[in-house]
Amino acid sequence: MADVEGARRALEDALGAGEVLSDPLALRLYARDASMVEGGCALVAFPRSRDDIVACVRVAAEHRLPVVPRGSGTGLAGGSTPIGDALVVVTTKMTDILEIRPEDRLAWVEPGVPNLDLANALRPHGFTFAPDPSSQQTSSIGGNVSTNAGGPHCLAYGVTSNHVLALDVVLADGGVVRLGSEAPEAAGYDLRAVMVGSEGTLGVVAAVCVRLTPLAPVTHTMLFDFTSVADCAGAVTRIIADGVVPAALEMMDQGIVVAAERFAHAGYPTDAAAILIVEVDGTAAAVEAQTVVVEAAAEVHRARSVRVAADEVERALIWKGRKSAFGAVATIAPHYHLHDCVVPRTRLVEVLTGIYEIAGRHELVVTNVFHAGDGNLHPLLSFDRGVPGTLERVLRASEQIVRLCVDAGGALSGEHGIGLEKRDFMPLVFSAEDLSAQACVRSAFDAEGLMNPQKVLPDGARCGDFAMARGSDAGAVAEDLPEGAWI
Amino acid sequence: MDLIHPASKAGVVEAVRDANATARRLLVVGGRRHVDKGNPAEVEAELWTTQLDRLVAYEPAEMIAVVEGGMRIGELDRILADGGQEWPSDAPADATVGGVLASGASSPRRLRVGALRDTVLEAETVTGDGRLVRSGARTVKNVTGYDLHRLVVGSLGTLGVIVQVAIKVRPLPHARRTLRFAGGLPLAHELVDAVHGSTAVLATPGAVELRLEGWPEEVEEQTTTARRVAHATAEDDAPFPLDRPWEAMPVVVEAAVPPSRLDATIVGVAWGALAGVGLAWVGLGWPNGELVQVRDRVRAIGGIAPIVRGPGGLGDSPVAAPEVQRRLKHAFDPNGVLAPGRGWEAAEA
Repeated sequence: MADVEGARRALEDALGAGEVLSDPLALRLYARDASMVEGGCALVAFPRSRDDIVACVRVAAEHRLPVVPRGSGTGLAGGSTPIGDALVVVTTKMTDILEIRPEDRLAWVEPGVPNLDLANALRPHGFTFAPDPSSQQTSSIGGNVSTNAGGPHCLAYGVTSNHVLALDVVLADGGVVRLGSEAPEAAGYDLRAVMVGSEGTLGVVAAVCVRLTPLAPVTHTMLFDFTSVADCAGAVTRIIADGVVPAALEMMDQGIVVAAERFAHAGYPTDAAAILIVEVDGTAAAVEAQTVVVEAAAEVHRARSVRVAADEVERALIWKGRKSAFGAVATIAPHYHLHDCVVPRTRLVEVLTGIYEIAGRHELVVTNVFHAGDGNLHPLLSFDRGVPGTLERVLRASEQIVRLCVDAGGALSGEHGIGLEKRDFMPLVFSAEDLSAQACVRSAFDAEGLMNPQKVLPDGARCGDFAMARGSDAGAVAEDLPEGAWI
Repeated sequence: MDLIHPASKAGVVEAVRDANATARRLLVVGGRRHVDKGNPAEVEAELWTTQLDRLVAYEPAEMIAVVEGGMRIGELDRILADGGQEWPSDAPADATVGGVLASGASSPRRLRVGALRDTVLEAETVTGDGRLVRSGARTVKNVTGYDLHRLVVGSLGTLGVIVQVAIKVRPLPHARRTLRFAGGLPLAHELVDAVHGSTAVLATPGAVELRLEGWPEEVEEQTTTARRVAHATAEDDAPFPLDRPWEAMPVVVEAAVPPSRLDATIVGVAWGALAGVGLAWVGLGWPNGELVQVRDRVRAIGGIAPIVRGPGGLGDSPVAAPEVQRRLKHAFDPNGVLAPGRGWEAAEA
């Protein structure tokens, strides 16, 4: 039985009274992340050092409280939504960049450092941190690690996992381990790779050693517009097939273009059926060569016009529209539900068509902004939950969208993670044995299941347990989630 | 020594289950090119993967190939070249995809092409207790559960048999060129910093090879930049690396250190060091005092120095979270069927 009061006193002793919150307002604030899944917690702690994190985990273990690691709370899948008598360990006060070593192409940072702050700190050294999720002004490196975050530029540069050399992690027993290495290879099984993307279920990240990426000498940003979504998607496939892997390849449909333009005034053509942002980078000659291929591919697919960012200001403006798209949809309706499926990029058009049909069937507004080069879709359902029956329609449409993507050979999540929101869809893509094997990984790190329980794997997936049936009805299971889950 | 040569994934499952039932220990073998890496392990049988050599799916526009674990690198290279693409393993043609991955091998072009482990998107693995499990997805991005497919990379065949993988491939470069310079590691470091997008900068005793690959105009531009740094003594499009002095030696160490500390790895006269990456291959006469010397120095700066050819095993660099490592081994190979003692995790057991 959890001893919340005992844990609170012990944490106050270890961290200081000001770093532990237990008042109803705080507990309410930290009961959710940027998803709409609402949970609850018993205590919130703000460690300032690795030792503080160790204290948090030890106290939680001693008093039988589950630990929910949390960065900036921008997660979109409920991965840091606490459940029950949880201790939420918030890393936002650990924001030191500990060390930048250009000669080793690495930097050590605390987990609470915002992604964009790190990129800005590296720029004077001629480097960047390549993953750049749309949330980068706010989201923390620790959170990026937990969700194996992507962003527009991971098409060419790879996801977070490719940019994390080592992690200092506090395990469930309070022990501190360094996974990975400052060297390119490390001894033993690659636990670092498993930790990245594990959504806080294997330990609390106390420090991150990131790989530095040299800044490209030249960046060239183009915006194409098309009179049909199929042409836009066709251009995406053509560009890749013609041997160019752009630094970014982002598609927005008309609905999201209109919303983003209203918000960001980026000069987007609001009469286009879809726009495509293509960024190529490298040396001047490499950029020139790629630009020729990209423009030819767009022309073949009937691009109506191309706008080239003339300078850094215009480039920033084009990206502002794209990166603020999720905020901009507030102009459509007060609530939204965002998906994160990945499909083979050659099936983009077919899946998009299906998504429009599903939304139409459920009388919902859907807009699409996504990492087209990766096949990573972000269909966004806008709605007003105050209108009776709307929520139910959103839930049904969401489930159908997920199934559509999976049937097209896709994955449940490209960069947001599984969290609470999608865990019961896991049997759609994995067999009982697959999930059992995953549970084995989890229990190798945390045999007692104290780290962020009930996330990622569906109830019933256990190491050595083959009882779960493949393809169980995920829709029916989803309805068993706690109230507030999903939306 | 028994040989088991299954023709299908089901055959691998059957063989592994049978090994569990009869308490026979197995060494998983692909093309036998990377089999020296690992600590000595006594086994009763070898399980050969080379009949699992089918192409499962390949669509160039997806930049993903799905192949069985026993596919030979030469065959894969040919298939991908037809699609204008490559999987940059730079492994011998008779090595297998599964062997390259299980051994955690690196390409000498890692500076530009990245780590091979980062290309693995999905894997089907037959675990040590005979379960066929899949993780990941055939998409270039995916955060769906725990990445077992990344855990088996570099696991030296001690967790499971890699029977199928989906790998991310890349466009073949349109132009290739190698510039050679007289110089050492300091020049190599200088070139890494000066020439953006270099494919590799390899220092060998007395010489530096700068490899450039990409668009023809890009390679021209990089060449001009490099020539401003130092005088190139030769320039051609011969295969890279042209000079592999370590390969003439009976024992080869593959050391991994923070890139600025490469000098610590070097002994003798038959080495090659990848600037900007932190990998070095060091050829030795026989495991002797030189190996101990390299390992002592490398361990002191947080690196590793396993043998990749000849005897000498993995070395004594400490393993992170040894308890977790051992629990993983036990979870996937509870009866210790897959080459017990071969992996790093066994060192401290």
